[in-house]
Amino acid sequence: MGWKRITALLLAALAGCGLTGCGGRMDPDEAQESIQVIAMDTAMVLTAYGEKSTRAVYDAEEEVRRLDALLSRTSGDSEISMLNDAGGEMVTVGEEVCGLIQTAGEFTEATGGTFDITIAPVVSAWGFTTDSYQVPDQETLRTLLEHVGMEHVHLSGGSARLDPGTMIDLGGIAKGYTADRVAEIFQEHGVPRGKVELGGNILVIGDKPDGTAWRVGVQDPKRPDEADGLVCVLDLTDAFAVTSGSYQRYFEQDGKRYHHIIDPATGCPADSGLTSVTVMADSTLGNGTMCDALSTALFVMGEDKALDFWRSGVYDFQLVLVTEDDRVVVTEGLKDDFAELEESGYTYEYVS
Amino acid sequence: MTLRSWRKVGTPMNTSPKLRPGLWDALVVLVVAALAVSCGWTVWDGQDRGTELTAVVSVDGAETERLPLKEAAGTERTIHAGGYTLRLRLTETEIWVESADCPTQDCVHTGHISRGGQSIVCLPARVIIQLEGGERVDTGVDAVIG
Amino acid sequence: MKLTTKQLTLCGILTTLALALSVAENQIPLSLAIPIPGIKLGLANIVTVFALYVLGPAQAVLILLARCLLGAVFAGNMNALLFSLMGGFAAMGVMILLSRLRGLSVYGVSIGGAAAHNCGQIAAAVLSLGNTAPLYYLPILLGVSLLTGALTGLMAACLFRALAHTDLMKG
Repeated sequence: MGWKRITALLLAALAGCGLTGCGGRMDPDEAQESIQVIAMDTAMVLTAYGEKSTRAVYDAEEEVRRLDALLSRTSGDSEISMLNDAGGEMVTVGEEVCGLIQTAGEFTEATGGTFDITIAPVVSAWGFTTDSYQVPDQETLRTLLEHVGMEHVHLSGGSARLDPGTMIDLGGIAKGYTADRVAEIFQEHGVPRGKVELGGNILVIGDKPDGTAWRVGVQDPKRPDEADGLVCVLDLTDAFAVTSGSYQRYFEQDGKRYHHIIDPATGCPADSGLTSVTVMADSTLGNGTMCDALSTALFVMGEDKALDFWRSGVYDFQLVLVTEDDRVVVTEGLKDDFAELEESGYTYEYVS
Repeated sequence: MTLRSWRKVGTPMNTSPKLRPGLWDALVVLVVAALAVSCGWTVWDGQDRGTELTAVVSVDGAETERLPLKEAAGTERTIHAGGYTLRLRLTETEIWVESADCPTQDCVHTGHISRGGQSIVCLPARVIIQLEGGERVDTGVDAVIG
Repeated sequence: MKLTTKQLTLCGILTTLALALSVAENQIPLSLAIPIPGIKLGLANIVTVFALYVLGPAQAVLILLARCLLGAVFAGNMNALLFSLMGGFAAMGVMILLSRLRGLSVYGVSIGGAAAHNCGQIAAAVLSLGNTAPLYYLPILLGVSLLTGALTGLMAACLFRALAHTDLMKG
């Protein structure tokens, strides 16, 4: 009879489904989109997985470009430039810039002034913003340092005012803040996993498609030109990480090397015995900005003070410090996600 | 009521459907198979070429040129972007920026790149030259910070 | 259009069947071969073929629409709606045309429909992802559609034979 045949067929079809099926369900994470963006003086790579990956990365790109224009110190019509050029007058700034200046001020206070957005005129005097490097004389530095300090920045409502001679540069947190914003955009698009490389800043979301952690290498300060010149590898999931190093931008004059991380206390390149500082934290929104600010601040502090600051527990983060005498100092919380590299020639120390 | 009356509601069915496959069905199979094969040719042919080492040049985020190294070997290219000029040299296995008038010269210092996934970036000119296809570099890490 | 109780009942049953089939085919890990989320084999086309012949295009379209909407609600995934709508209606259009050709059996109609179904899905993937990468899988899917089309044709033929003596099939 016909019905028997149908039943037989249906059973056969079900069996067929069963044989090929059961193996697994459709993985929506396999769609992937990756783009490169040049912004904020660096080459960025935005990678997202998931169904809305394409929309997520292009929305993120738009946001990156918006923030680049908003926070840039070098483009004349950004809010920051207007504030710097106001000559002591009150300037109306957006909520976002106000918030960032305030956040920067909090980090200045927390780090004892080792992170300071008002160091801008000093950095310019060394030529790091214009690529025409020079060593400023002590007199120049002394005059400039009088205008450094968050007490010269006044916020009230939607406006801001800088004392004459004071200038700010949000470059120390711009990329970190951008990482925070990209993380938020990816979250809105339900991106299950992704990787965002913003120069020395990285954000990883979720794990890799194969279920393992993202392997993030920390550049060896002694071999900055070698792509595989690393001091260690971090296994990261859902995390921000930022590296600040003296090798990233520097110039040499009369046989002496001058790098771009200026100590706000002296107005000179920080001479702290460190060659790079990597700050890592979980992907809680806001941590991107925090990692960025702290990586600069802790570089200026030097090993001992940086570790004291870590132990104080004011902020929740982990550290990798690379010292001039070829040691790599790693904080306890990273131990399980940290891979030493034998051939690097460094000795590794774990601190708690 | 009978089914005959409700067929009038929709467009009426021709007749009772043929249930045994015939020659015309074979024709449909042939057409679909031919479509699959021709699609395969056009789509995968391009993809196959993509596995050969190709330099992709993009300016300000937009792709401007694709240079398969095999075809472009021995040639020189000039890229004008952002007010700067970059001179590229290509061989069958490598590409590099021979000279540029940008202030940083990072693109020149990057040197020769020869494997998929590697790239040369010139920030002032907003140019990215990336190698696609070929053997990928395996550095053992997914990203490098610093 | 006005539907009688009997027609409505039949439409309901067929929609349920189609839904069950599309849930069943979710279990097939097609993503292993074709990593595009939302792509389906199109086994629910059996119902479309059957409805097309027995009820005519208008009601077949109704059933298809109900299947796509309810399927998306059950899956809780509106992205899948685009895939099933574009795949389903491409298949429907081609099958309506092919079913008018007297020389073709249900097999030919089903295979044509399956091929159109997969083309529609790839188009949906291209639309929703915003790039042309899914085209890479079109040749594979067209090949697969020969198999799924033959299978749906076979199932439909069996159905027609089995129901030949009921009043459903009386022309």
